[in-house]
Amino acid sequence: MEGKIIVVTSGKGGVGKTTATASIGAALALEGNRVAVIDMDIGLRNLDVVLGLENRIVFNIVDVVNKRCNLAQALIRDRRIENLFLVPASQSDNKDVLTAIGVQRVAKMLKSEFDYILMDSPAGIEKGFENSVVAADEAIVICTPDVSSIRDADRVIGLLYSRSITPKLIVNRIVPEMVARGDMLSHEDVIDVLSIDLLGLVPMDNQVVVSTNTGMPLVMHNQSLAGQAFRRIAKRLNGEVDIPIKVPTARTGVWDKISQKLGLNR
Amino acid sequence: MWNKLFGGKKNGTPMTTEIPPVKLKGVGDSFWVTVDPSTPEDVIHEKISELFERLQHLAINAKVIIDVGGAEGCDELVNNLRDFLKKRFDVGIVTTPPEKRSQSVENSRQVDLGKGWITHRTDALILTGRIRSGQKIETRRHLIIVGNVNPGAELTSSGNIIVLGSLQGQVNAGYPDNEDAFIIAIDFKPTLVHIAGIPGDGADPSLAGKIVYASIHKNKVILQDYMQDQPFGKIPWPTAL
Repeated sequence: MEGKIIVVTSGKGGVGKTTATASIGAALALEGNRVAVIDMDIGLRNLDVVLGLENRIVFNIVDVVNKRCNLAQALIRDRRIENLFLVPASQSDNKDVLTAIGVQRVAKMLKSEFDYILMDSPAGIEKGFENSVVAADEAIVICTPDVSSIRDADRVIGLLYSRSITPKLIVNRIVPEMVARGDMLSHEDVIDVLSIDLLGLVPMDNQVVVSTNTGMPLVMHNQSLAGQAFRRIAKRLNGEVDIPIKVPTARTGVWDKISQKLGLNR
Repeated sequence: MWNKLFGGKKNGTPMTTEIPPVKLKGVGDSFWVTVDPSTPEDVIHEKISELFERLQHLAINAKVIIDVGGAEGCDELVNNLRDFLKKRFDVGIVTTPPEKRSQSVENSRQVDLGKGWITHRTDALILTGRIRSGQKIETRRHLIIVGNVNPGAELTSSGNIIVLGSLQGQVNAGYPDNEDAFIIAIDFKPTLVHIAGIPGDGADPSLAGKIVYASIHKNKVILQDYMQDQPFGKIPWPTAL
């Protein structure tokens, strides 16, 4: 059976594309799928750091596309999670070194070997974005609940539609306390503007910074709220239909407040 | 004084751009003769002779249309010219211009009663769905959006723009210079408004939650509460835009 290529994109930078790619990829692999995560952000590679695999890079996606090595040489296997592989980006090239035809050729090879291929798209809508979506079957648009991110996501959704890809939405970095106070847009407001299917809601979580710095995938922290959200998203992607979308809520209980003050709970 | 300074004509009329009393041009298979009926008849005869002599054999059996510019009471002049042209230059038929069909008010009302709208062709581009950031809709017709216009989208129309939904992008109605154009939106929150190239304010907080009608008044874009002001409520009979 052929695998599925899913591109993770957002338009705006810094909304959590790379974190989402790493987390969803790891979660899908934990579910027992063979997963490859591809860093398409040529020149600004990050996905290897987030996955804690930066020490093991020899070849990268540019080498594979330009036939300097074969695919198996560039694939880095994660030692903690079975069936999770990374193809890193090149740090020394720029985004113009890849061609659409080359990416499509590599995508075909990847599809024959993996169940899910997650492409981490760079920010922007130029060549890098085009190379990432050229072979995609599905798309995930990441958006944070702020106006600039929504506008960029809107543009990207339009571009994806024009390529006959119907994207799904993840609203990232929701701070439920701010939403409750009316200082932050709620996920309903975001969906009102973007009007696409919602794949999941991810709350703001300080654990993301910790796991990025330590290279430990977020979904392996059982306590992390964002990690749990990404695990649910992965399950939905994997075809489990009866997982309800959990709306992050503010923790207002007395014990929550006391434990937060004492630093027992994040 | 004026005439002395600016060299008015001898008869004392103020100086205007000189229009020749007789003009000749070919229209279709006939000659179109524009005549200024205020000129003395013998001058007209003289000028016409001048022009038709140049045509030589082309004038023979030709169709001639004499246009007096809509002036009334010139039947005698036209008849005289007809005889003159036929005798002197052997032209074929001499007629007056076909009357322009003007639809009277009565007629337009009968259109409605007689179900004449069935044959009326719409002059509007009607789109359903969401217009997203970065998308540009440009049309020479009226533009009707049944859906929302997101921030960052751009609408340009030579006519009116009607948005049945939320309008948050840029709108440019009556492009480039149609000052009769208007914009109506159920939720009017555009980032930029232009009507006939005149920029206006975007959303007016005092009109929040109301249907807004934007139009040009004294060279300024003004926003009105559509349901309260009813700008079209005074028109007693339906009229096509």
